[in-house]
Amino acid sequence: MTRSRARRGPWFRREMSAGRFALAMNLPTLVFLGLVLAYPVAYAAYLSVHRVGLAQLRRGEFPFTGWENYGRVLEDPLFWVATKKTLIFTFITVGSEVVLAIAIALLINQAGIWTSRITRVLILLPYAIPPICNGLIWAFLYSFQFGFLNRILFSLGLIDNPVNWAGNPDTALYAVTVPYIWRTLPFAIILVHAALQGIPRELYEQAAIDGANAWHRFRRITWPMLQQIIAVILILRTAFAFAVFEEILAITQGGPGDATWVAAWYSYKITFSPPNNFGMGSASAFILTLMVAAIALVYLRFVYRRVTL
Amino acid sequence: MFKKTPAERLLLHFANLMVIVFILLPVAAVFIGAIQSEKTLQADTRRLLPLEVTFDNFAVILSRGEQKGRIFEQVTYLPDNIKSFYTALANSTIVAVSVTFLTLLFGSLSAYTIARQRYRWTLFLLQANIVARFVPVIVLMIPLYVVMRAMGQLNSLTGVIIAETGFLLPYAILILAPYFDTIPTDLEEAARIDGCTRLGAFVKIVLPLATPALAACGVIMFIVSWHELLIPLILNARPAFMTLPVVIASLVGDVHVFFNLMMAICLLALAPTVILVALLQKYIVEGLAAGAVKG
Repeated sequence: MTRSRARRGPWFRREMSAGRFALAMNLPTLVFLGLVLAYPVAYAAYLSVHRVGLAQLRRGEFPFTGWENYGRVLEDPLFWVATKKTLIFTFITVGSEVVLAIAIALLINQAGIWTSRITRVLILLPYAIPPICNGLIWAFLYSFQFGFLNRILFSLGLIDNPVNWAGNPDTALYAVTVPYIWRTLPFAIILVHAALQGIPRELYEQAAIDGANAWHRFRRITWPMLQQIIAVILILRTAFAFAVFEEILAITQGGPGDATWVAAWYSYKITFSPPNNFGMGSASAFILTLMVAAIALVYLRFVYRRVTL
Repeated sequence: MFKKTPAERLLLHFANLMVIVFILLPVAAVFIGAIQSEKTLQADTRRLLPLEVTFDNFAVILSRGEQKGRIFEQVTYLPDNIKSFYTALANSTIVAVSVTFLTLLFGSLSAYTIARQRYRWTLFLLQANIVARFVPVIVLMIPLYVVMRAMGQLNSLTGVIIAETGFLLPYAILILAPYFDTIPTDLEEAARIDGCTRLGAFVKIVLPLATPALAACGVIMFIVSWHELLIPLILNARPAFMTLPVVIASLVGDVHVFFNLMMAICLLALAPTVILVALLQKYIVEGLAAGAVKG
C-alpha cells in the first residue's frame, strides 16, 4: 500500500521514508560539520605530528615527525608560562563573572526600584560590541599617556601620577581580565536572570511567613535553584575563556614581556609569525583543544544531559 | 513582595549606579575619543571632558582618507587600511548576511529533524553539535588556512562564509532545536493526513510557527559573524577582502597608533550591532538562554 502510494507521481512529489527524510534534511549540516569542523580538527591532529613550515607548505610535502612537535611544545618554557597565564585568566574571569552575574541578576530582578529598570535595559549592551573594538576601547581607557581611566582617577583625586595599567607586568594580566568580563558578563546575567524567573514566588512567600530573612531566602531557595544554571555558566565560560584572543591582541599583544601570553596567543604567534611553525602551532592548539574537550564532555555528561530532547 | 527599608532602597540604587557606570564607561570613552584630535588628547592628560568637538576623524574615514580636515592636515602618515572602510563595510555585510541566511537554512533543517525524529544518529548529531560548539577557533585556524590555501579560497569572501557557517551551525542548531521541540505535532500530523509531504509540512506549518526562534537565532548569528575576527584575519590578507574587525585589528600593530581615529572607526563598526541589540533585545535574550540550556 504505502509502497505504491510512494511510487506515484514525479520524484519530488513522492513521499520519503522518515529515516531518509531525516538524513536528507541533515545533509547540508553534515557536509559543513565535516568540511569545517571534523576534517580540520583531524587535519590539525595530522599536522601536529608532521613537520610543517613555510618551505614544506610550498613543496606540499610534510615529513612525519611523530611526537616531536608535542615534545618541543612541552619543552618550551613559554608554553608553560602561557598555560599558567591562561589558568589565572580563566580563574579570575569565570569566578568574577559567576559572582557578578548572580548579584546583578538579583539586582535587576528587584521590583519597585526604578534604577533597576535602567540597568535591565543596558545589560545587553556589551554583547553588541565587537570583541576587537572592546579591546581597543579598553586599550584607550588604560593608555598610560592619555588614558581615560587615569583621567577619571586624577579627577577624583585618587592618584597623583599616571598609572600604566596594561604596560606594567604586575598588573597587565589583571587589566585584560576586566574588558573580557565586561564583554561576556551579559550572557551569564541573562542565564541567571532567566533561571530566577523560574523560581515559584510561593516559595519566597512561604519562607517570609516562616520568618526567613533575605539571606536565608537566598541560601535556602535561590541558591539551590540556581545551581544548575551556574554549572552551565561555569563550564561554557571556562571553555571560552581558555581561548581568549581578541582582547589580548588589542590591548597587550601578549606583553609586556610574556605577562599576558595566553594559550591562544601562543598558538597564533608560533603559527603565523616567522618562522611559521604550523606543526608546532597545531600541536599547541591541539593541547588547548583537548583541555576544552574535557570540559565539553563534562558539560555533555552532567549538565546538558537533563535536556529531554 | 517584600517591603524594603529606605536604607535598603538606597543601597540598591547605589548598586545599580555602579553597574550602570561600569557598563557605560567604555561607551563614554569611545565617544569622547572619537570626537577629538590626538593633539588635544596629549595637550592635557588630566582633563576628563575634551575642550574641542571635531568630526574630522569620521570625515577622514568616510572620505577614504582624502578629506583630511584640520586635525590630519599636517599628518604625513595615515594607515592605509582606513582607506578601505567602505570595502570592509560591504564585505562585513555580505559575510554576515550570507552566514545568517545559511546557518538559519541548514540549522533549521537539522534542528527540526533532531527535535522530531529520535534515531540513535540524530541524538548523536545533537551531542556532536554540543561538543562542536566548544571547539576553539584557534585550533581550526591552522588547518582551515592550509585547506583553504589548497582549495584556492584564500583571499575570498566565499572561503570566509563557508568557514563561519560551519563554525556557527552547531550553535544555531542548539538554539533552534529546543524551540522546535515545543511546537505541538498535531498541526503537522493533520497536514500530513491531508496529503502534505514531510518537507511540505515543515515548510508550510512548522517554519511559520517558528518565526520567533528564527528571529532570535538569526540576530545572534548576524552579531557573532559581524564580530568574528580570527577567521577572516587568517584567511584574507588583502585589503580588498578584509572585514571591519580585520581592518580595525590591522590598526593595532601599525607604525603609528591614532587612538582618536581608532575610536571613530570602532564607533562606526559597533553601531550596527548596537542598533540590532537595542531593537531585538527580547529575541536575543531568548536565543542566548535557549542555546545554553533547554529552557
